[in-house]
Amino acid sequence: MAGSGVPTWEEVARDHGRFLYTVAYRLTGNHDDAQDLVQEVLLRVRRGLETYRPGSLEGWLSRITTNTFLDETRRRKRRPVDLLPEEPDRVMPPSPGADEAMAAEALPDDVQDALRSLPPEYRSAVVLCDVVGLSYQEIGDFLHVPVGTVRSRLHRGRALLREALA
Amino acid sequence: MSFAGPSGLSDHLGDALSGLLDGELGTGREEAAMAHLAGCTRCAEELLAVRQARTWVRALPPVDAPFGFYERVLLERNQLRRRAALVAVGAAAAAVTVLGVGSPRQSPVSPAVPRLVEAHAGGASVGADLLTKLAPIAVPVSFGR
Repeated sequence: MAGSGVPTWEEVARDHGRFLYTVAYRLTGNHDDAQDLVQEVLLRVRRGLETYRPGSLEGWLSRITTNTFLDETRRRKRRPVDLLPEEPDRVMPPSPGADEAMAAEALPDDVQDALRSLPPEYRSAVVLCDVVGLSYQEIGDFLHVPVGTVRSRLHRGRALLREALA
Repeated sequence: MSFAGPSGLSDHLGDALSGLLDGELGTGREEAAMAHLAGCTRCAEELLAVRQARTWVRALPPVDAPFGFYERVLLERNQLRRRAALVAVGAAAAAVTVLGVGSPRQSPVSPAVPRLVEAHAGGASVGADLLTKLAPIAVPVSFGR
């Protein structure tokens, strides 16, 4: 650790690179955007823009990653050229049989596609809860929203995801 | 006992189902939710759906960055740092020049030629003519005035 307690880039890359990249990839849904996001997170780590709380490095990294992701999606929304939906005319293939056993074998790529079809706020809640494993309170603190909002976004996100993979 | 939703009225469970699933509902509400579930097919189905979604997302594997990604980022960072350091040094040098510090004042060199000749002649052997003795220093040298 550096003197300030903020980890260095080398430490983050060496010890938490896979975790960080996984969160970035689950949020963005593709390698190009995931790499851009990780680079931006590392810049924020270096600039010390975020307050590090010793003991929860991965929680801290996932907070920076999610907030950077949401900042970027909001910034893109403000630019008319980027108003196109992420997946226009996307039609999820019907699952043959559609019984619980078949559905339970959803492929990771299909789940990732369904995740990417969620609104960014829902997607963030789902990733922070079900990929990172944070509590509702932690997610609310990270995203600056009440716990009730976290629960609502998470639930709606999961319901939409299930529908997308039906 | 029926479940009281956010509106305060008896309601379907809605997002409380995810709260229940994640153990985030609190003991009192959990009991009420379980009681509601026992008699509500719609909520029971919704619970299965969100639980399935949660299972899928939890089962997603970790993702590795493309080979060499972090090395490249660190390398670029180091190059940027070096460049920033060079720019800083350059800026400092420019500032020094602008301020006139470290840049020596230029003054014209005007050696006292007669004294040079005299010194040279003084070291010459007796009998040699002055012009010959001067020859070694009669190289084309131009002195500033």
